[in-house]
Amino acid sequence: MSKDLISGVVLLAISGTYYAWSGGIADSTLSDEVGATGLPHVLSFVLAILAVLLIVRAILVSRARTAIATGADDGSDASLPRAIGFLLLGAVYVFVLPFIGYVAGTALLIAAVALYEGAPRNWVVLAAAGGGAVLYWALFVKLLGVHQPVGSLFQGLL
Amino acid sequence: MTTFQDIIHLLTGTPLFFVAIGGLTWGILGGALPGISASITMALVLPFTYTMDPAQAIALLACVYIGAEYGGSIPAILIRTPGTNSSAATVIDGYEMNRQGRAGEALGISLMSGVVGSLFGLAMLILLTEPLSWLALAFTPPSYFGLGILGLSVIASMSGGSLIKGLASATIGLMIATVGTDPISGVTRFTFDIPDLLGGIEPVLVMVGLFALTELMSQSGSTTVLQLNETIRIKLPSWSMMKRLKRSQTIGCILGLFEGLTPGGGGSIAAFMSYNEAKRWSKTPETFGKGSEEGVAAPEAANNTVASTALIPLLSFGIPSSNSTAVLLGGLLMHGLIPGPRLFEQSAQVIDSIYVGSFIAIVAQIGVGMIILPACIWLVNRPRAYRAGFIFALILSGIFTLNNSLFDLGIALALGLVGYLMRIAGFPVLPMILGVVLGHMVESSYRRSLVLSGGDHIIFLQDPIAVFLLSIALIFVVFSLTREFRDARKTKIEEAHS
Repeated sequence: MSKDLISGVVLLAISGTYYAWSGGIADSTLSDEVGATGLPHVLSFVLAILAVLLIVRAILVSRARTAIATGADDGSDASLPRAIGFLLLGAVYVFVLPFIGYVAGTALLIAAVALYEGAPRNWVVLAAAGGGAVLYWALFVKLLGVHQPVGSLFQGLL
Repeated sequence: MTTFQDIIHLLTGTPLFFVAIGGLTWGILGGALPGISASITMALVLPFTYTMDPAQAIALLACVYIGAEYGGSIPAILIRTPGTNSSAATVIDGYEMNRQGRAGEALGISLMSGVVGSLFGLAMLILLTEPLSWLALAFTPPSYFGLGILGLSVIASMSGGSLIKGLASATIGLMIATVGTDPISGVTRFTFDIPDLLGGIEPVLVMVGLFALTELMSQSGSTTVLQLNETIRIKLPSWSMMKRLKRSQTIGCILGLFEGLTPGGGGSIAAFMSYNEAKRWSKTPETFGKGSEEGVAAPEAANNTVASTALIPLLSFGIPSSNSTAVLLGGLLMHGLIPGPRLFEQSAQVIDSIYVGSFIAIVAQIGVGMIILPACIWLVNRPRAYRAGFIFALILSGIFTLNNSLFDLGIALALGLVGYLMRIAGFPVLPMILGVVLGHMVESSYRRSLVLSGGDHIIFLQDPIAVFLLSIALIFVVFSLTREFRDARKTKIEEAHS
């Protein structure tokens, strides 16, 4: 299956889901003629039409071509699992932040990303992560006055 | 109306001075990092501006844009890798000069041509923006609807070869814009009883997710190693050289003005067009591609002019003509500032700060550019693994500052994944951002118009401004469609021949 065909099917699914969700929007006595559901309904129809067009075009193109070119450039260097792995490091950071706090969390994030991206396992990673976390803490917490999470594990200590 | 004293006060005001220098420095550093475009550099700093004074915040973003346009030329000249898209044309002769041992000279010409272009662009910005914005005083809800549609019609020229994908991307952006509280009735939509969604999804999260996180994800695992020569220093061009470059810089300025005003134009088109025109009008066209000084001056003057002139349609009408100006529009909306004449009347200090901040940044560019070059080289030479870790931590820390909300971090990460999948499938992300940014205006002005007319759509044809704007939007779409069909046909013929 070509990328466009898969994209078309996914867009169709998004359109259907969005339309179904828009059914849950409450009515209001203050509502105008179009209403709060007006635009969502139009958008779901427009997306469905575009999805169908994309699917039709993908089918026509695949029929017209006897051989499908493989290894087409997708404009990205990383493979999907690798890129998702990168993002998961961020998700873990968001999950642990309330427990271990900003400084420890940021140090862990920098170290984890550096190691994931191929940095050699030595003291430099620890030093860079620790230094970076302290630098960002000084910038965000001390300079900008942002209340970054302290961490439930360390709350009793402060 | 701005008085001379106001300008002097802003020029000598310490905070704005530091904001301008800080923005410029950040912009040059960001622009110098290959893969980090001007828009990503701006998106990275956007969350920081949330707690700032609106005038200083917008000035900071404008100065980052100016800095990034210059910064992009540094790796273009030194390692044949444009730091930003708009510095791609600089590679041709800039890198050739570097190979001939004239890297310092090329950097100096790029810097001074950038300053010339930026000053010209700023003068045009000051002269043209306010008069154009007064047109918007006569705007009614139907006119605003027409304006929103005109803004969205830019999508047609920014769809990267597939209008269907561009439109689908914009539709999803409009869908994201419907999350939150309905602008007319006040009922909640798609909030799923989550309090964090009541105010909708902020455009800044969409921008950071789609631009910055997607770029980090796509660079993950890359083994490309960049190494710059740490001994290079900038050599500013002599007066006689500047006189020789006058013609190519003028071409760059004029085309930069034209492209900055055109929705979908942007710095890269301006840079390549000026390179071609400078070659056509040059007394020594044979030197182009072989280390010509004019080949560096023209594109650099052009893309730096665009950094200022692209703000004209943005501040006058709220039309973002490029990724970078879309980020700037996000910054304006984040601070409750609506582009148009009211911005000039009610928030004159914001406009003054943009003008004065930009002026400080442009003049300071010469000194800062020379001082910061070793820092840029040092930064580019850091191992990519550490750079990725520091940038990722900076992005997530910045997003948290918006609302002190971990939920925002989750949204941004999810949008990063969406952006990455879109990139794989060949969907352009800018239409989605335009959809998110303009969605609220399009929907609320459309519905307000219908409330005024009692539900009759004829109101859109009775308002002359709405008719004009909708007609322009139609022309844009038809023009882009024609171009797309022509390109598709050309590709088909070429494929058949090969």
